[in-house]
Amino acid sequence: MTSGQVLLAVENLSKRYGDVIALNDVSFHITDGITGILGENGAGKSTAIKILLGLLRPTSGTATVLGKNAFDSVEVRSRVGYMPEHDCLPTLVSAAEFLTHMAEASGLPPSAARTRAADTLRHAGLFEERYRAIGGYSTGMKQRVKLCQALVHDPAFVFLDEPTAGLDPAGREEMLSLIRKTHREFGISVLFSSHLMADVERTCDRIIVLQGGQLVHSGEVAQFTKETETVFIEVDSNREDLVTALQRRGVVVTAERSGLTIEGPDHSVYEHVRDALVEARAPLRRMAPRRRELTELFERDGERI
Amino acid sequence: MTGTVFDIGYQPYTGRREGRDRSRKAIYKDGVRAALGLGRGARAKILPWFFISVLAAIALVMALIAGAADRMVGPGAAARLNLPSHSDFNGIASIIMFVFAAVVGPELLCPDRRNGVLNLYRVRPMTGTDYIFSRWLSFLTVMTAAALLPQLILFLGLSGGDPKPMDYLVTHWLDIPRFLTAGLAMAIYATTLALLTASFTSRRAYASVFLVGLFVITTPFTVGLAEEVAGRGGQWISMFNLTNIPVHVNDIIFDDVSEITKEAPARALAEWIRLSWYALWTVVPAGVLWARYRKLAP
Repeated sequence: MTSGQVLLAVENLSKRYGDVIALNDVSFHITDGITGILGENGAGKSTAIKILLGLLRPTSGTATVLGKNAFDSVEVRSRVGYMPEHDCLPTLVSAAEFLTHMAEASGLPPSAARTRAADTLRHAGLFEERYRAIGGYSTGMKQRVKLCQALVHDPAFVFLDEPTAGLDPAGREEMLSLIRKTHREFGISVLFSSHLMADVERTCDRIIVLQGGQLVHSGEVAQFTKETETVFIEVDSNREDLVTALQRRGVVVTAERSGLTIEGPDHSVYEHVRDALVEARAPLRRMAPRRRELTELFERDGERI
Repeated sequence: MTGTVFDIGYQPYTGRREGRDRSRKAIYKDGVRAALGLGRGARAKILPWFFISVLAAIALVMALIAGAADRMVGPGAAARLNLPSHSDFNGIASIIMFVFAAVVGPELLCPDRRNGVLNLYRVRPMTGTDYIFSRWLSFLTVMTAAALLPQLILFLGLSGGDPKPMDYLVTHWLDIPRFLTAGLAMAIYATTLALLTASFTSRRAYASVFLVGLFVITTPFTVGLAEEVAGRGGQWISMFNLTNIPVHVNDIIFDDVSEITKEAPARALAEWIRLSWYALWTVVPAGVLWARYRKLAP
């Protein structure tokens, strides 16, 4: 998949359930890479994913996957993978048997399906356990089997719905590493839905943020955090004098419990800070650049939404 | 001599993708394997193979008895003594076939719903119709095999046991298309009802108990009630004996009367009515089954 190629495109997409508007005139496109889709409960993430998977018909607008209408094209699903959040694994069959079946169900011939199943399990670190019944696997192993079934037919694009849900810190690390590997080594693009901002921030190249059924942000994660870079200052005393001195110099400053946050750091800001510290006679304890975290997208007036 | 193992890394798949056609075949194959317990642990194999063995054993015993009669009493003794043959097998085996369908059939649908595997099929290149039709066909295959294998054993046993096997084949060749058709009719009926019941629950045990209860309870209930209500009413009540419905078809195909339908008042009804009744009990449940899975919703 070449970089920059549009894999998923949503144009003026709306979805209503009676009087409830789940998505309201949303447009975005997703290119090669790992994209995170963020939003509170009820923001429209699941609806958007279901429409892109062809499981729901939009009320208006279009959703295309790999250039084809998501709802009308059954065949396009052979190039798409999906890892649901909830349980979706049989308990009595082995991982090898299940993945072979899923590869065939995605359209691969039987011999290729067997080979792909073994390869995918090897890449996910489950090769040694492949002939054990899935019912006996740990939660982490089951999550990896869920990811494997989404990858076994070598899709161009994979949807991951809360892939780290229910995992302990070590399992979460392994899963995130596997997701990064999915794109960087396997060349499969990822749309990753999660409530865990830290996971998205560390794993995704781009983010799409939905709120109340509307798109509120779309872009590169690095760009977002860079654009929102701030400087954090802690002083031992004379904090109020320092704030006054900074404000007099036109610097946007926010007082926090332990220090001050200054917006938009550039050379002039650093010079203003130096001068204000001298003027306010405030002993500097700590000064460090700080990037905003994605969690701040969901904060309004300092409160978490 | 030492070797080096190289990890060639991830290899993208560049081969053929067979789309919906392969997808349907995969569901069919998985259905057959699930019904027979293949690729599963030993416990999953016990029930299907037990029922298949019992059905085959009944046919074997019938063939041995007929063969012994022919050899001990003389050629044609089995027919003269009216020993059970192909036309009687479906009547004798029908209740075992239904219990087999009730116990094994739900295995094809219930775990997919219970474990959430349907969510994965929904995003594969298949429709709800592809899924349910493939599952239905896979269980029909198993049920047809279970119905026909004993008939084949019986036919081979009867022809092999006859002092003049070739004469037996010439005289009885018509039994072959008859038992094929009757076996298929029995399999279609049992398959459709078993899967329809399974489509209403995610618990296999509930479906099995309901189906076994349905077959076991309707028989004495309808027999008793039909005896109380004389005439046309009794004949129609007798038609609700669910175990007998495909056996009536068997009787019509063989132009014979099975032991279990011999006393049934429904026998007095015209053949076309009994055939239409069978069609109703297969087409309507099949339609409801399709409607339930059309959207492949979990």
